[in-house]
Amino acid sequence: MRRRELNERSPVRLLESSLHGGVGGGNIAAVIARHGVGKTAFLVGVALDDLMRGRKVLHVSLEESSERVRSFYDEVFSDLAHERELEDVWKVRLEMERNRRIHCYLGDTFTVRKLRETIQFLRDHGDFHPVAIMLDGFPFDETTPEEIDEIRAIVKDIDAELWMTAVTHRESDADESGYPEPLTHVADKLDVILQMAHDTKAVHITLLKDHDNPNVSDLRLALDPTTMLLKKE
Amino acid sequence: MISDLTKVRNIGISAHIDSGKTTLSERILFYTQRIRKIHDVKGKDGVGATMDSMELERERGITIASAATYCEWDSHHINIIDTPGHVDFTIEVERSLRVLDGAVLVLCAVAGVQSQSLTVDRQMRRYKVPRLAFVNKCDRSGANPYRVTEELKDKLKLNAVMMQLPIGLEADHVGVVDLVQMKAFYFEGENGEIIREGAIPDNMLEAAEEKRTELIEAASMFNDELLEAALEETVTSEQIHAAVRRGVLELGLTPVFCGSAYKNKGVQPLLDAVVRYLPNPTDIENVALNLEKGEEEFAVKVDPNEPLIALAFKLDEGRFGQLTYLRIYQGTLNKGDTIYNTRLNRDVRVGRLVRMHSDEMEDIDGTSAGDIVALFGIDCGTGDTFTSNRNAFAMSSMHVPEPVIHIAIKAKDRKAEANLAKALARFAKEDPTFRSHVDPESAETIVSGMGELHLDVYIERMKREYKAEVETGKPQVAYREAISRRADFNYTHKKQTGGSGQYGRVAGYMEPYDGGEFEFLNEIRGGAIPTEYIPAVEKGFQAAMEKGKMIGFPVTGLRVCINDGAAHAVDSSDMAFKSAGRGAFVEVYGKCKPQILEPIMRVAVEGPGEFQGAFVRSVMQRRGVIVGTTESEGFVRVDADVPLSEMFGYSTDLRSSTQGKAEYTMEFVKYAPVPAEVSEELIKKYRQDGES
Repeated sequence: MRRRELNERSPVRLLESSLHGGVGGGNIAAVIARHGVGKTAFLVGVALDDLMRGRKVLHVSLEESSERVRSFYDEVFSDLAHERELEDVWKVRLEMERNRRIHCYLGDTFTVRKLRETIQFLRDHGDFHPVAIMLDGFPFDETTPEEIDEIRAIVKDIDAELWMTAVTHRESDADESGYPEPLTHVADKLDVILQMAHDTKAVHITLLKDHDNPNVSDLRLALDPTTMLLKKE
Repeated sequence: MISDLTKVRNIGISAHIDSGKTTLSERILFYTQRIRKIHDVKGKDGVGATMDSMELERERGITIASAATYCEWDSHHINIIDTPGHVDFTIEVERSLRVLDGAVLVLCAVAGVQSQSLTVDRQMRRYKVPRLAFVNKCDRSGANPYRVTEELKDKLKLNAVMMQLPIGLEADHVGVVDLVQMKAFYFEGENGEIIREGAIPDNMLEAAEEKRTELIEAASMFNDELLEAALEETVTSEQIHAAVRRGVLELGLTPVFCGSAYKNKGVQPLLDAVVRYLPNPTDIENVALNLEKGEEEFAVKVDPNEPLIALAFKLDEGRFGQLTYLRIYQGTLNKGDTIYNTRLNRDVRVGRLVRMHSDEMEDIDGTSAGDIVALFGIDCGTGDTFTSNRNAFAMSSMHVPEPVIHIAIKAKDRKAEANLAKALARFAKEDPTFRSHVDPESAETIVSGMGELHLDVYIERMKREYKAEVETGKPQVAYREAISRRADFNYTHKKQTGGSGQYGRVAGYMEPYDGGEFEFLNEIRGGAIPTEYIPAVEKGFQAAMEKGKMIGFPVTGLRVCINDGAAHAVDSSDMAFKSAGRGAFVEVYGKCKPQILEPIMRVAVEGPGEFQGAFVRSVMQRRGVIVGTTESEGFVRVDADVPLSEMFGYSTDLRSSTQGKAEYTMEFVKYAPVPAEVSEELIKKYRQDGES
């Protein structure tokens, strides 16, 4: 299978058509789920969609070591390459690795200022201009609307999409605004909110917020839990 | 003979180069009364630590070869394998890990988890070695065992839990608080041999209570009894010990101890912990391969009454002569037995059996499963398996990477030449990643290994141990060639000279093969080539593969299939078909789009955060691909895949650009095609060299 076809089966395609014009540069999407549903794998899937099209992605992790993040990419990539019988696997992988940067902040060392510096650093030293940033493990329960504004300013400056993950808890499903904890206090600062849940067969994605559209399309995706690609019917 | 296997521990001490591992080993031998006097690494008395048996190691203050030594503690029999810390010698580390049942991971209380600790830890994970951590050098300025414990959690993702608290740090470090017994221990006397028990200092009580709660919480995950006792507040020391031991064996818990080997603090409690928490040989399951049943795996039984299975994991030629270190996995080995080397299909008589204590030894009459001993004067290679009753068993084959670097060497004089041959034969047997051959064209001796330092050490050893002084050429990267697409061939070898001629025709195809170096398929139907000539065709291809047509490096990952051909009743011969195979290869090689492959190293550079820019630049300048950046508390680590050819002189550059504050490690990861411009350059150079 050629790369283009592979991309056509990415959930991102369907998301883009359901969302009004995708997430969009300078905007923020948050993926919310309980522990262990596969948020990181989903983010990696989104990142791979860009990477396979030769675009650059920065993956920032606050929880995992860079080796672990790498192995996430390697796993999702090889399952994907295998399942879709990708040609030239070797070359595609190298290109993917060249277009990807992994940056990890361990032991609570992450700050928004550091994120700005890292992005600046990559532009200055590596001529690296990401179209998307994956921010995994951001502590939403400790953040403020002002901090989200700061983050938005960063991605606006470089016109990149930002994808973040949030962990939700069993007890708190949704408040009256319709958004689950810990996103309630910053939900209006986020452009897109997706919720993930899984059963024994698949991972299900529901769209909770779509920019400022009052009519959120009734999107329901079922993904294969290993490849994070759309389930084959 | 060992009567009770539960009283045996085979452990390794594994760590970063400067974390004081050798000093710790030395202290262990002292407290277990194997040595009467303490020497230090690079000691002023010129004796050096007992474990570093090679002269060179003494001089450089590093441990190169893993000497096995044994000692007794609390009526337990402990075999210690001193593992080298430098990544260039990882084959040694990996080999030792195979024969260990448990390990002590030594960390520096100041530097904490460094890139080398990461490599070593990765290897321990690979071989599933249960481990304890010892935070050494608590007497140094800047020591912080609490931070190091956090790093074990963050960077190594270990479930690290403190078993002790240090009493005083830096110059005030005098002892430890045992969180299980809730007592303080002070180490006194000239060599810390007097242990004084006391109450926990008042100012530490609160911290000790808190850390003890953490310890019990973590340990109770592995034992329901402890969990219940914790709820009812009736916890006993035995319950904690049992739970921690379970956690360690399941690789789910890493207990952390602290002290200072150099200042003689905390070593004895560490020995207690080794005995208490690390597994005995019966706790570990090992598998062997049955060579007669297509390498079918089976579990070995740690039982002296079963047939013998033993693995030669290290060869050593010291002042006593040639020694082979053996780990006995199953059965019994006695002096005078005849045992069978399954690789060489050869019987060997056990003349002398010894237990090694660094470079001294004692004769023993016999021993059994679970033990580590040494044999005298046995001819074998590292990794060979010995059995009784000529059983064709092998311990699972060890992963041996291909060498990635070559250096041409030349003996300085005639006498050195004879010694050199001896040295090379010896080293190749000791270390499967060290190889040597004579280049047929230049008549130079080429040695190959896993890195510059790896080869440097052997060149030094040639001089010191074998009096073979050599001149060395520039290090050369071990390139490979590989084809990237399939192409058909149909080649006729024909020669008509005076007497009988030569004739052979072969046809088929060549294609990339990712299952190994070479595969040969014979799909000839109807005897177009008589069967007896087929092996000659295969040999012809293999001979041609030794020197690729692009830059003269070996060709790898190749499948050849022959499906047609022709022979002549009189003029065909083995010779003719070998030439036909070789000719076919030469004819078709260019059509298969060959490419040059180079070894890629995984480089990890680590240092203070302000050097992040310098690290990234240094890697980018070297055609590196950055695979990740990790920041934590003022430190930054950059991981990158960099071609080996670009890494020469890196340590010097790094030192000068960071004022010596950064360090790096590297490890071979894979072969990958070189970019077009580099490929052209290499080809041009190869042609020029050919002309001159």
